[in-house]
Amino acid sequence: MSEAESLWYSGTWIDRVPQWVSITFFGLSFLGVWWFVAGMEFVSPVLLPGPGETFSELWDVTQNIFSGGHIAEALWITSQEVFWGFLAAAVSGFVLGVVVGETRLGQRAIMPYLVALNALPKVAFAPVFVAWFGFGVNSKIVMAMFIAFFPVIVDTAAGLASTDSDALMLFESMESSRWQTLRQLKLPSALPFIFAGLKTAAVFSVVGAVVGEYLGGGKGLGELIRLSAQTLRIDRVFAMIVYLGVIGILLFGVVAWTERKLLFWQESEIFEIQGTG
Amino acid sequence: MAESADALLRAGQQSRPNGDEVVTISNLSKTFHKRGLTALEGVDVTLRHGTFTSVIGPSGCGKSTLLKIMAGLIPATMGEVLLNGQPVTGPRKDIGIMFQQPTLLPWRTALENVLLPIEIRSGAAAAEGASDRGRELLDLVGLEGFDHVHPFELSGGMAQRVAICRMLVTGPAILLLDEPFGALDELTREYMNFELQRICLGRDATSFMVTHAIPEAVFLGDEVLVMSARPGRIAEIVDVDLPRPRTLDMMTTPEFASLVRHVRHRLDELGAIA
Ligand SMILES: Nc1ncnc2c1ncn2[C@@H]1O[C@H](COP(=O)(O)OP(=O)(O)OP(=O)(O)O)[C@@H](O)[C@H]1O
Ligand SMILES: [Mg+2]
Repeated sequence: MSEAESLWYSGTWIDRVPQWVSITFFGLSFLGVWWFVAGMEFVSPVLLPGPGETFSELWDVTQNIFSGGHIAEALWITSQEVFWGFLAAAVSGFVLGVVVGETRLGQRAIMPYLVALNALPKVAFAPVFVAWFGFGVNSKIVMAMFIAFFPVIVDTAAGLASTDSDALMLFESMESSRWQTLRQLKLPSALPFIFAGLKTAAVFSVVGAVVGEYLGGGKGLGELIRLSAQTLRIDRVFAMIVYLGVIGILLFGVVAWTERKLLFWQESEIFEIQGTG
Repeated sequence: MAESADALLRAGQQSRPNGDEVVTISNLSKTFHKRGLTALEGVDVTLRHGTFTSVIGPSGCGKSTLLKIMAGLIPATMGEVLLNGQPVTGPRKDIGIMFQQPTLLPWRTALENVLLPIEIRSGAAAAEGASDRGRELLDLVGLEGFDHVHPFELSGGMAQRVAICRMLVTGPAILLLDEPFGALDELTREYMNFELQRICLGRDATSFMVTHAIPEAVFLGDEVLVMSARPGRIAEIVDVDLPRPRTLDMMTTPEFASLVRHVRHRLDELGAIA
């Protein structure tokens, strides 16, 4: 950018710094504060390990994972739970969202139940799912799906409802059938909303799987975290939470990347905050 | 001066199209029962082949409602719209419509947007077969080579030109335009008015356009329908006896100015201008 251009540039200073610089800067500041607080030993180092201990533990965990140790197995199990939970949430949420958004029956009869169900603390169902689907991965998949599919329903329905009224009138003037209008106009217009729902679902499905593991055992990363916390290996807990985050970020990234490729007509940053319904 | 004005008027009279009645509306009324609101009452309109009719009136007087009834998008409470002798009972292929916003589908290219009405009515194969016609229309509005461009790469005026093509692609008998250039800037708007006139004259189109701009109504119209509000009625039909094609110079003539003044006074009386 030339001098003259920069005079015209209307963004704030943070826009002018490359994003990786601001991300790195903020991360380093955080580490600094952490290191300082842990070093002062306000709390016992067992309960709050510093960045050093945590990173060396992270290194051990990483080695275990890449040499195919027991943590690799747990990571693989949890990843599968998250993936299948997310997929089930995406599909069922989309279908229910279309039903709720498109039919009077859905709007008038089904939506009230969904709203009521959504208001319940969904975590409370975990023991039920364990009772129904056992201590294996199935109960976690169901839990992940159960927590993740509401935002997809709500956003899909909201997206369908937000279709531009002029465009609807235009389709009506072309004697478009209901199915044509849905396929050619409403669903494509709803895609940004649907993807917002899917991104939320990507994050929620990790929550669901881990909660399922905390409360229903199994062999996943959540169970390992629970055991480590019981033996006060907080550094190990932190290290494994990092890998939970990796699962979530990967899934989120895939969804966001798909959105960018599919919705080429709108600009969006991958790590953009988007409201969901 | 008086002589030239006279000549202008006579030329205007000669070029006054006097075609067959394309649209006949008699004693049309519309009440929105939910709100108990009478939007239109006793509206009579006759549109002759090859004429351009501008409609102007206070906001909320029922212009868009009238246009939607003519397009078969909403039913009238009383009276009916005859298009080429047939009552309009729903959307029809021979009615072309255009709104203030281009309402292009952003995931479709300009050409695909133009062909949308054909694809919806007759399927993708028919649309594919009509792509030459679509391209010709894009050429006609000066968008040569823009067929594979997506709407987000088009300016507002260009997008409205694509919308014009989409309206024309099925070869409609009548064009219904609801403030088509209301969202454009002054210069683009003026340019689009010339474009619209050129297209309408070239195709001998019968057009009905709602507008909020008095000069635009006079510039484009053979007739200006001035509407009153609550209930919406046609308060006056102003004949515009200016020759075609209308030019930029014509807009500075005393005739043009007096027509604009006349319409403005009428609107003023109707309480449209605060
Ligand atoms: N679907 C509807 N239900 C109830 N009332 C309506 C409906 N559509 C329009 N109206 C009412 O009918 C009246 C005429 O509306 P219309 O949109 O035709 O006005 P307009 O002349 O096009 O106004 P503008 O110049 O602001 O576009 C308004 O009072 C409006 O509130
Ligand atoms: Mg209107």
